[in-house]
Amino acid sequence: METRSFWEATTPQRPVYPTLEGDLQVDVAIIGGGITGITAAHQLARAGKSVAVLEARRVGGGTTGWSTGNLYVPVGPYLHHIAKTRSQEVASTVAQARFTALNFIEQHAQQYSIDCHFARRPWYFFTQEEDMASTIEKEAETLQQAGMAAELVTQVPGLSFDSVKRAVRMNGQARFHPLRYVLGLAKATTQMGGQIYEHTTVLDLKEEDDHCLLTTTQGTVTCNQLIIATHIPIGIHTVQTVAAPYRSYVVAMRLKSGTYPDAYYWHNDKTHHAITTHSTNSMELDMLMIAGNHHKTGQASHQEYQHYFNELEAYARQHFDVASVEFRWSAQHYRSGDGVPYIGLTHKGAKRTYIATGFYADGLTYGTVAGIQLAEMIAGEKSPWLGAFDATRGTNLATAGQFIKENANVAAQYLKDIPAGQASHFSDIEPGEGKTIEVDSEKLAVYRDEHSQLHICSAVCTHMKCIVNWNNAEKTWDCPCHGSRFMIDGSVIEGPAILNLERKAIDPRTGHLVDSGGKTSGEREINNPIT
Amino acid sequence: MNLIYTSIGFFALAALLGMYLLTFVLRGKETPKAIVFSHGPMAVVGLVLLIIYIAKGGPNPWESLVLFVLAALGGLYMVSRDLTGRPIPKVLAVGHGLLAVGGFVLLLVFAFGN
Ligand SMILES: Cc1cc2nc3c(=O)[nH]c(=O)nc-3n(C[C@H](O)[C@H](O)[C@H](O)COP(=O)(O)OP(=O)(O)OC[C@H]3O[C@@H](n4cnc5c(N)ncnc54)[C@H](O)[C@@H]3O)c2cc1C
Ligand code: FES
Repeated sequence: METRSFWEATTPQRPVYPTLEGDLQVDVAIIGGGITGITAAHQLARAGKSVAVLEARRVGGGTTGWSTGNLYVPVGPYLHHIAKTRSQEVASTVAQARFTALNFIEQHAQQYSIDCHFARRPWYFFTQEEDMASTIEKEAETLQQAGMAAELVTQVPGLSFDSVKRAVRMNGQARFHPLRYVLGLAKATTQMGGQIYEHTTVLDLKEEDDHCLLTTTQGTVTCNQLIIATHIPIGIHTVQTVAAPYRSYVVAMRLKSGTYPDAYYWHNDKTHHAITTHSTNSMELDMLMIAGNHHKTGQASHQEYQHYFNELEAYARQHFDVASVEFRWSAQHYRSGDGVPYIGLTHKGAKRTYIATGFYADGLTYGTVAGIQLAEMIAGEKSPWLGAFDATRGTNLATAGQFIKENANVAAQYLKDIPAGQASHFSDIEPGEGKTIEVDSEKLAVYRDEHSQLHICSAVCTHMKCIVNWNNAEKTWDCPCHGSRFMIDGSVIEGPAILNLERKAIDPRTGHLVDSGGKTSGEREINNPIT
Repeated sequence: MNLIYTSIGFFALAALLGMYLLTFVLRGKETPKAIVFSHGPMAVVGLVLLIIYIAKGGPNPWESLVLFVLAALGGLYMVSRDLTGRPIPKVLAVGHGLLAVGGFVLLLVFAFGN
């Protein structure tokens, strides 16, 4: 079964925004049209700034349109962990910022009549294992200290799990259709004068003393302030030494009973499963989603990636009356050293360039937090959240371990790039399979399609030159170092890489590489099924 | 003197890997990063041993140290260019190698000369 996002499939009319043509001058340029970029653009346009969003593909077509549509105050790395690595004050600020963001989404969905199925409902976090009980208790306590109405409960309504050892509930959380919401907010932004450009890839960015300059595939953009809202900053950035990329998986199913629980659940035992429900076209719930099974991008422990989907499906069948599997997809999240995202000026010396990253899989709310905070900072207002999210905070003692672990992992990936000689050949590659092989001392990423046609690119990631690995569930090349991902034709899907993998050709008579001139571009559209 | 011999051992291994890397740079090919990240640390260990030896006082191969330090700076610069996608100037790669060979020869002369 092909991977396809439920949100993409259930968005009826998708407005088309123009491609940038020629040069442009604005107060604020925003790279990336996900929930972060569009929220920031909305806030800035409302504050009277001239603002332009530059999106490499389609608005909402990044992680935002491949998420699971849940809005909640708690966070994946746990607030009590943040209270430990940073402080209770930071944990409370994080909770309050997320609470505000959730209200923001509700208010704007109503104000602009965005048909995004926004509905309030409870969040439950439960375990069937005694070992996990204290984690749940600590999380409930930290939420309460942050002023949130979390309470320990003995029942988890809507599910039929035996022997729940501990559970916490927080009412007033929500679900929505993230793609429809972002498209609705984008429309409102353009109505206030904001400009949005699609199919416009930013290839280079520079902060000068009195302006920032962006080079795109079509023209240049000059601006006073710049927001890099690309989920992880593009190009080379120090935050990539801690913001490790992880992929996780989602399976969406219909149930025989037609009865769907109306809540969002975290089931954490030795493994973590998120259980949620959504609606296709009305407010009526008709889809169950199970998400989980994360692993570092490009470093799957199961070479057969389908395993990750199969395991989620098996979990669902064990606990629900599954009628059919409708959608399967996966997406990426980025972590942070201390569990708190990085939102603010990009580094200590920067005056005009802002980033927002390290959201874990909690970034629909965090992206909204970031949009609000960055717009406040650019408007010269003092953001009450900056102390918690400051992107220049660096590594402290509590997070040094994480820093060392991530960078040792990246170093280990580089050490796998050994000259292999002619270990395998094109003929070893079956139809539908991808492999990295070495020809004329060059590592190649080779995919053989169902018609036996070879698609050949350099296997050297254009970000910082790790060797990409084959992902056989999504038929993509995934870089194990910082999470850049590429289509079989080499075009960038996501991650920090800006340029596509260099396309290569082989002389069929000699089997040697044909000199392709070493050129590569940033154009994203080529055969790219991801909008 | 044991420190010097061990240092020579590490430099010799680093030199072998370095020559291999040079064949990639001169052909305009991507360098295999496992070799890059083995070559550098080996040379660094050799250099640290040499510095410890010199710090102990007495007659020492300081000219060799100077050449190795210059070679190391060139090496760091090349790695930073390589990882950030900028081509490695061939003349720089050759110069780095010549500096290191010079340092190595002086070290051999010091260790085994008399
Ligand atoms: C499986 C999964 C489920 C999730 N579910 C939830 C959930 O239920 N609730 C929740 O809160 N969070 C969830 N998240 C996290 C959330 O989806 C993300 O954190 C959030 O969508 C990030 O939004 P963003 O706008 O920062 O990035 P994105 O939505 O990824 O947008 C970045 C945009 O930048 C563009 N771009 C990149 N490079 C360039 C360039 N060079 N030039 C121009 N444009 C460029 C991309 O095309 C993309 O559209 C989930 C994550 C995963 C992985
Ligand atoms: S993503 Fe950094 S090297 Fe590939």
